[in-house]
Amino acid sequence: MPERTDDSKMTATPLTRVLGILGIAASVVMAVLGLFISPPDVVQGEAVRMLYLHVPSIWIAYGSFVLTSISSLLFLARSKRREDSGRHYDRLAGSAAEVGVVFTGLTLITGMLWGKVTWGTYWQWDARLTTTVLLFVTYLGYLALRRLPADPVVRGRRAAVMALISFINVPIVHYSVDWWRTLHQKASLSVGRRPEITGEMYWTLLYSALTVTIVGAWLIIHRYRVIRLEEIRDEENLKMLISSRHQEKPTDSTAAGEVS
Amino acid sequence: MDLTPRHEIEEPEEVRRTIHRRRRWIILVIAVLLIAALAFVTAQGLRNATLFFRNVDEAIEQRTELGTSRFRIQGRVIPSSVQGESGVTTFQIVHECAVAAIRHTGDPPELFESPWIPVVLEGRWVQGKSQTAAGADSHYFRSDRMLVKHTNEYASANEVRVNEEPPAGFLDDCSFEVPVDHS
Repeated sequence: MPERTDDSKMTATPLTRVLGILGIAASVVMAVLGLFISPPDVVQGEAVRMLYLHVPSIWIAYGSFVLTSISSLLFLARSKRREDSGRHYDRLAGSAAEVGVVFTGLTLITGMLWGKVTWGTYWQWDARLTTTVLLFVTYLGYLALRRLPADPVVRGRRAAVMALISFINVPIVHYSVDWWRTLHQKASLSVGRRPEITGEMYWTLLYSALTVTIVGAWLIIHRYRVIRLEEIRDEENLKMLISSRHQEKPTDSTAAGEVS
Repeated sequence: MDLTPRHEIEEPEEVRRTIHRRRRWIILVIAVLLIAALAFVTAQGLRNATLFFRNVDEAIEQRTELGTSRFRIQGRVIPSSVQGESGVTTFQIVHECAVAAIRHTGDPPELFESPWIPVVLEGRWVQGKSQTAAGADSHYFRSDRMLVKHTNEYASANEVRVNEEPPAGFLDDCSFEVPVDHS
């Protein structure tokens, strides 16, 4: 018997397949640009190439956490009024947070490797590094909260509140280099400030940000659909259990009849 | 509504209790680990993050109150002052026209060789005569840990030539001059 190919049972659609292929192609170009085309830095030399993965990773993490917060707000606002409890917002919040955590982890790892080459140490408890690891841990906590057994809507509400609390740290992470003295350098690019990066390095950084955004979006869409599939699986399991319980009843009554 | 098929589990109540107990323990352990991690990170952060280093001018100003306590000092390395022998590097760092003589033990990071690179040094003031670009001093800073604090400025090595000129405007208000190697 051929396998079912119903789109609702898959994690991909034609659009996400195109997005995935685009993400892979863009990543290859990003690697070529970052590793071979863009020049070494006058001070940091070849170590500067870490910039093209490190900086876009935290940008995408910020973006994902913004998406988590907006979705959580919408879920809190609509979970009481709508028939479907606005659960798609909860799913979106969860999938974006997962991707945000992955990219925050990537930021920490690339930052540590970069730090060893440039600063001379993997880690220092300065304000930027401390708040970033705090961001990572709080969103891990958020994901753990989403795994706790509870009614989906109740669990969604708890998680949404946790997401909104966790988001407080995002601007703190970003502005920590301006508010406190840190070993970490100031932001590479800021709105309203002339970029301190020249020519090919600047464009490679912007291109890398675009690439990582595509990959991040692709991951969020897939995680969203995987979460939905898990829900469908749970719903089908529940239906199956109900029908098996219904089937038990006649057997019991027959058995009872035999005894009497 | 309990939908667990009765015929598959011999002692459903007991099994359910065991599962709940186990789950409660897992949740508790995760919660404790998370709280411990948060507490550790916050404590470390509060202790170090707010004042990660003192700039040279502040460290000189606060010399009396700092005494022999350990702290971090930050400034740009004067390239012409760097001398090294048998694991000890001596040099001067400058910030806001205040200069400190440094005696560092240990291998400096690779980027230390870049002219006028900002560094963060961990150590303490030691009484002893020293000569800096700004004049004679009664103390020098003895450090055993050096971190390079690079800036957020990036420039192509193919277009910009490394030279020993101080960054634009960095020493403009200073009453002293620093010898520059133009070779």
